Amino acid sequence: FPEMSYLSFFCLGPGAGQDVGRSCILVSIAGKNVMLDCGMHMGYNDDRRFPDFSYITQNGRLTDFLDCVIISHFHLDHCGALPYFSEMVGYDGPIYMTHPTKAICPILLEDYRKITVDKKGETNFFTSQMIKDCMKKVVAVHLHQTVQVDEELEIKAYYAGHVLGAAMFQIKVGCESVVYTGDYNMTPDRHLGAAWIDKCRPDLLITESTYATTIRDSKRCRERDFLKKVHETVERGGKVLIPVFALGRAQELCILLETFWERMNLKAPIYFSTGLTEKANHYYKLFITWTNQKIRKTFVQRNMFEFKHIKAFDRAFADNPGPMVVFATPGMLHAGQSLQIFRKWAGNEKNMVIMPGYCVQGTVGHKILSGQRKLEMEGRQILEVKMQVEYMSFSAHADAKGIMQLIRQAEPRNVLLVHGEAKKMEFLKQKIEQEFHVSCYMPANGETTTIFTNPSIPVDISLGLLKRETAIGLLPDAKKPKLMHGTLMMKDNSFRLVSPEQALKELGLAEHQLRFTCRVHIQDPRKEHETVLRVYNHLKGVLKDYSVQHLPDGSITVESILIQATAHSEDQGTKVLLVSWTYQDEELGSYLTSLLKKGLPQGTA
Amino acid sequence: YQDLHTFELQAPTRLIEWGRGNRVCVAGYGQSGGNEILQLLPPPTLQVKETQGLCPERDFKVECGGFSDRPVYSLKYVPDTSLLVTSGPPDSSLQVWQVSAEDSDVIKSLSAIPTENGAGQPWAKMATISARAPWVLHGSRLASVQVTEVESRKKVYTAASGSSEELSGLAFLDCNTLLLCCAKGQLCLADVRQPQSPLEAASVPSALCGERWCMGVGRGPQGSDSSSQPVARLSSGGHLTLTDLRRTSESLASARCRVPSPASGAEFLCVSWAPALEGCLAVSGFDGTVHVYDTRSWDGSGGEAEPIFVHKGHAFGGWDSGGSPPLVTAHTWHPQKPRTLLSAASDGSLHVWDWVQSCGKF
Repeated sequence: FPEMSYLSFFCLGPGAGQDVGRSCILVSIAGKNVMLDCGMHMGYNDDRRFPDFSYITQNGRLTDFLDCVIISHFHLDHCGALPYFSEMVGYDGPIYMTHPTKAICPILLEDYRKITVDKKGETNFFTSQMIKDCMKKVVAVHLHQTVQVDEELEIKAYYAGHVLGAAMFQIKVGCESVVYTGDYNMTPDRHLGAAWIDKCRPDLLITESTYATTIRDSKRCRERDFLKKVHETVERGGKVLIPVFALGRAQELCILLETFWERMNLKAPIYFSTGLTEKANHYYKLFITWTNQKIRKTFVQRNMFEFKHIKAFDRAFADNPGPMVVFATPGMLHAGQSLQIFRKWAGNEKNMVIMPGYCVQGTVGHKILSGQRKLEMEGRQILEVKMQVEYMSFSAHADAKGIMQLIRQAEPRNVLLVHGEAKKMEFLKQKIEQEFHVSCYMPANGETTTIFTNPSIPVDISLGLLKRETAIGLLPDAKKPKLMHGTLMMKDNSFRLVSPEQALKELGLAEHQLRFTCRVHIQDPRKEHETVLRVYNHLKGVLKDYSVQHLPDGSITVESILIQATAHSEDQGTKVLLVSWTYQDEELGSYLTSLLKKGLPQGTA
Repeated sequence: YQDLHTFELQAPTRLIEWGRGNRVCVAGYGQSGGNEILQLLPPPTLQVKETQGLCPERDFKVECGGFSDRPVYSLKYVPDTSLLVTSGPPDSSLQVWQVSAEDSDVIKSLSAIPTENGAGQPWAKMATISARAPWVLHGSRLASVQVTEVESRKKVYTAASGSSEELSGLAFLDCNTLLLCCAKGQLCLADVRQPQSPLEAASVPSALCGERWCMGVGRGPQGSDSSSQPVARLSSGGHLTLTDLRRTSESLASARCRVPSPASGAEFLCVSWAPALEGCLAVSGFDGTVHVYDTRSWDGSGGEAEPIFVHKGHAFGGWDSGGSPPLVTAHTWHPQKPRTLLSAASDGSLHVWDWVQSCGKF
């Protein structure tokens, strides 16, 4: 038996800065080491953007230490450091992710690499070839498919909602398991369903809790506001720039605008910047099974990813007069086409930029959302921002209600909350502990959490023993544990529970009988057989639930216990009762002895 | 609407209380325990007077929370302290809580303020003030009205009244004057420094005595004479009557609001004055709507009044577990933004809304 069983959890995420930036978690389960996500922090331009892998092992090779790496979804704060990790730090083991993630990751990584290296001239960054080499190590998995990483370690992906291809992973070694949620949401949206998991009862559920303290404004109101703002801008002849991550919210906003334009009969052009985004739509069509029911149904009637009012964008259109709406990448205005368009339109107060997602510190998006209106661009040029800056958050993360729902579905024994900010989560921790009677942990980055598990050890039981035990007592109650007696045989890595007799036989041992005899002296001058009768009547009266018998040879039996009476050798007035029992009847034997020692009541004839 | 935000709380609330820094407190009233008291940080849009173009967040954040076994029917912050008091069935005692947002986000249960013969009494109505010391005015019947010092639990004032009239609301008009509203509609005044029993200041027409009444007191700026603001009383039959406390012999004005029939009971009746819109008050509790009235156009006739705005958002909720349409359980005005209200309903919805100002009026 292992002396103790534990899981340990270690978060390699952001340093003391404590803002949401990247995810990277190390889990040790029954001797196996798994890395969950390998994210990049987009706000830093130096090595701080990568997790500190020296935490894992100082001199050993990562490939030897880690059994596998799992990536939950394609957002760069979950997979952005993967090529750096596998090719520059060095890891040759398997990397698991879902099929859509595998298809989309390299695109995003290449995009980011191009911007960082080509436009910014960075040198210590991974190359295109490294991305390709990294992806060669990826093993794509299907939802609900059990994948054997090795003889003992297996993983399974569950639908997480959030973005295309996002999954929650169950990691199992023997009967111990951990579920890592990555980012997920419990309410379906226009193009993705809600996360779902079965009652897998993991020892530990690791869940993101960044939005646990948020009570979200309803989607309808947010959409209403978004459309109102776009409409107002377009009506006054202004241009609307919506920076997007190519894959994710962009599709949802397109669907929203398309429907609105149709309903309101609007004429202003809507553009979607090409390249990356065309590929995105292409992938969405490929992975149509990953979207929700509604989209799938509509797709059959009318291709929801081919828009009537939305056309491909050309760089030159940015200079066209008149109103228009443009979706351009990247989403935080940190570089590329969206930044180019922003610089052209920023000086006109009739225009508007709508940031549809969280912007990491250091990006232009973050700066303008913080209220900065004078930005320093390359070559020390100052850009004055007169256009309206709006923020519409559509990101789908689980709130407190969603987290409770997931815990209710999975029924974990322990819960661990991952949070990017150094927040106090005591209330949520207590809420979870009170509602589900499980332990809840919330470690800070760099902290190790150890969770002790109670593994169940499966044991085979012999049919004979089972029959014997069920024959004895009450009917089995599915809700109550039943206490059984047997002998545990451990042989050749198997555990069996058998009856003692069978065990002895198999082991070639003879059974020994242990018998106790006790003498009780009773004052009784009468003849022996009269004493015996007195004892018999007394016991018969007291031990109504037991079988008390008076045998022809003058002895008394109480169940299997034997009582005989003889006269005392020296004193005729004293009788000696010999009480004899086997080890199995110890309890009854002791009881009888003490009962008889109390003496016989007078008058029992 | 100028603005509309709809939120869904995990459990419905029947109170919305404003705290320091425009924080909002809500609490569950479920009978089977596990109720949460939540102090919420409103989205930035609600934190400033003028809506700026920039609104990075639209969501409420749960700043801290506490757990209550009892249903929470009423909650009041104790000004100038980090305490709050709650009340609810099964008796008229109060619970005192500590909100310490510094080291922990848990609202801790501190102590209880028991009441004599409180068992089986209706839940206590409350009001708080921190003039001479942090006080809470509380009671469920006229006879049991008292003012207690929150921290020491010392009784500062007891109404020497033998009347078992049930109360529907109470308020501090200033640091010495108490205003009590009975469920049958009478308004009574009392002075904390005087030992006599509260004096009945105003009653309601006998025809309307059978209805249940509640009151709304104006919240004038700190230090101003609150008795200059009329007191509004609302009945379960939809009657509204305004009374000037300096001239209580006659009613200032009265009107009737349209009430659905059959009437849905008086459990959640609520009437309140707008802090920044003169003469405006809001009414809720009859159905899934909140009505806003301009009382300056009323006379004493008591005829039906036309609301200047009706918020119908909760009526479209449609997910009440009992199969009945949602009922607005509470509403409150934003302290600074003139036309912004918050309202909550029995289906757990929480709305923040602001209506478009029509020319010339409100």
